[in-house]
Amino acid sequence: MGHDTLTTVGDPAEPAGDRLARPLPAWLGRPGPTSWHRLNPLTKLTIAVVTSIQAVLLGGIVGPSMVLLLAVVLPAVRTGVGRQVIRTSLLLALPLAISASLVNLFFLPDAPTTLFELGPFRATEEGARFALEIVIRVVAIAGALTLFYITTRTSDLVVDLERRGMSPRLTFVVGSAVTMVPQMVDRASAIAAAQRARGLDTEGSPWRRMRGVLPLVGPTIMGALNEVEERTLALEARGFTRPGRRTLLWSPSDPAYERLVRWSLVLTIPVVVIVRAGGWGLP
Amino acid sequence: MIHLEGVGYRYAGAPRPSVLGLDLELRDGEVVGVVGAAEAGKTTLCLLVAGLAPRAIRGELRGTVRIDDEDVGPWPMHRLAEVVGSMSQDPSRQLSGVNGSVFEEVCFGPMNLGMPRAEIVDRAWWALDALRITDLAERDPARLSGGQMQLVALAGLLAIRPRHLVLDEPTAQLDPAGTRLVGDALQRLASDGASILIAEQKTDLLARIADRVVVLDEGRIAMEGLTDTVLADPSIETLGIPLPLMVVLRRAVADAGIDARVLDVVET
Amino acid sequence: MTELRLEGLVHVYPDSGVRALDGIDLRIDTGERVALIGQNGSGKSTLARHLNGLLRPTEGLVLVDGQDARERTVASLAGDVAVCFQDPDRQVFSGTVAAEVDFGPRNLGWSADVRRTAVATALDAVGLAGDQRTNPYDLGDSRRKLLTIASVLAMGTPVVVLDEPTTGQDARGVARIGAIVRQLAAEGRTVVAISHDMTFVAEHFARVVVMRAGRIILDGSPADVFAEAAWPILASTFLEPPLAAVVGARLDLGSTPTPDAVVAALRARTA
Repeated sequence: MGHDTLTTVGDPAEPAGDRLARPLPAWLGRPGPTSWHRLNPLTKLTIAVVTSIQAVLLGGIVGPSMVLLLAVVLPAVRTGVGRQVIRTSLLLALPLAISASLVNLFFLPDAPTTLFELGPFRATEEGARFALEIVIRVVAIAGALTLFYITTRTSDLVVDLERRGMSPRLTFVVGSAVTMVPQMVDRASAIAAAQRARGLDTEGSPWRRMRGVLPLVGPTIMGALNEVEERTLALEARGFTRPGRRTLLWSPSDPAYERLVRWSLVLTIPVVVIVRAGGWGLP
Repeated sequence: MIHLEGVGYRYAGAPRPSVLGLDLELRDGEVVGVVGAAEAGKTTLCLLVAGLAPRAIRGELRGTVRIDDEDVGPWPMHRLAEVVGSMSQDPSRQLSGVNGSVFEEVCFGPMNLGMPRAEIVDRAWWALDALRITDLAERDPARLSGGQMQLVALAGLLAIRPRHLVLDEPTAQLDPAGTRLVGDALQRLASDGASILIAEQKTDLLARIADRVVVLDEGRIAMEGLTDTVLADPSIETLGIPLPLMVVLRRAVADAGIDARVLDVVET
Repeated sequence: MTELRLEGLVHVYPDSGVRALDGIDLRIDTGERVALIGQNGSGKSTLARHLNGLLRPTEGLVLVDGQDARERTVASLAGDVAVCFQDPDRQVFSGTVAAEVDFGPRNLGWSADVRRTAVATALDAVGLAGDQRTNPYDLGDSRRKLLTIASVLAMGTPVVVLDEPTTGQDARGVARIGAIVRQLAAEGRTVVAISHDMTFVAEHFARVVVMRAGRIILDGSPADVFAEAAWPILASTFLEPPLAAVVGARLDLGSTPTPDAVVAALRARTA
């Protein structure tokens, strides 16, 4: 165990003059396994958000595809989480992508070029192109958010935002929002396991799987809301709402160049807006 | 000291009060056990003594709850938090949900109270040691078993070192060793001057650590007195309270017409 | 006839890499009352989840009636082995008590009449007969736990597995669950229970299996497992014998895991 790891993990929230009689655990704030993991959480969040915005702003097919390749696929593969990112982001994007492509493929107004006909429905080339644009955007957004989520510990983000002066209540809301989905999934799968243990057949067809999950939607959401209420109370009971600064044990490092990267990324947004407004764009 | 005077509580929407006419005193350095059948009002009493009843769950409060002669009604939560540490039955709901490790979870309370870093770290290790869970320090709190969560939630409270502790069945999910550890830790806290109210089904644990025992029945205090006296009273069994095993054993032996004094050798 | 057999059972959780079961060999015959005890985290619940196929072995075999459990779905195993989990909040999902208990029998494809009787009998056994229309969330914690036990009883399976059934129960609840265990045994059904309550275990079970770090370290009658000679082994996994056993040992009465056994031994000595 290191004696005082705070100096090695970045800017302290307050002067680290206090000598610790007993050490912080060495793993606390331990740097992640890859250079991508080790980026400051806010940097990773900025990358995810700017990627999502650019995927929409750039328009066409080439722009969003390049963003998807550079900001999602490449880092995901290099970080070794490629498979996980692809699986999760496709799962997230698929419902929206499928419905959007069907609607556009068949029902895009003022589309003259027929690709093929399916009964009364006419698929158009313009529709296909537009559908492709939408699918790429949706996949890029889902991928960017998934990559962020997979490579960032929620608690690191919370600590980092708080160090920057964000109110603990707000960081808690952010933290809860991020952890709420996996917690709900956890709870639902526990109940689903109990249902299976009582003979509900969920193995096999998608319909069978759905049958176990559908009755859980209500209780799971209610349970989650309940839990938020109780947890808020539990936090208050541990002094969370006390006015004044909380003490932070450590915080993620944030070198100057990362700040530069973040600002540069943010600046690409007005640039693209101006370029697009001027009528330029990639196909 | 925590003082309940003529306290009653009816949950919003409930036809009748869950507890009523409670007069109770929790003196500094004292361990008071609360026993009673399921739904006799133990949880409500815990919420009341912790000053949480109207805040945690809506309802109508009668009477007053005073801490050191001050009505806790108008206190802000964070002030209450520094003075009374409370733990509900379900440990998974005690955890903050935003901490990535057990160590940070245990530090959470002291961090909120703005204590110096060195003090926080020291207290966290102390609390983890006291409950022998230092080996869990690095684990994700969301991925613990119920028993482990219970110990972690308790460690988080101990780290605040509040003067009063209110615990609602803190050992429900613990194995015998865990139960013993909690008992030891509570005894140590009490000897340091903390006062502790503990609702328990495990009367054997209370027999070991409680100075006094309060018996609840249908929301009222049915009996109150020194631990040894109350827990040896066979009438508590009719109120759904398990007798301590030594009491059961003495009675079984006596019923068999054997002089129960043969068991005296064991108790020493 | 439903015999359970575990052979060289190993389970490693893929997420954490934790080796929860590390080579379990266990055979439970029809109609046995078996208690599984051990420290928190010793692998008891993981073992229970293999008996109905919810978890699949990393290595080794689970045989239900001689048939490899892997060849059957969880849904079909549920007709033989019903498992009641520890946390009611992670099981109960229906709007009424009756619907919750009816869920299992309905999945087993029973007719409405048969189901109605099964639901009523199960609710009666746990003392919830008057609460058929109650919303489970309006029940207190201890009664909600009893509801989960009723939900499993109603399925009439030859094997019933109960994970920490007495948690949060008062004296009456514990007595009720003890009566259920005896009743199941009287019907020739197998009961496997996980428990931290040594007194409950000693009073209601004929066989006690002690686990430590994913292995079985003791297996025998309460008198064997709680005998003074076995105390060091129990202590190695932080278990303590029930008080009656300690008393018996101090008084040189032999192994007396229950108050009744103490009394019997004292009688025998004075006689």
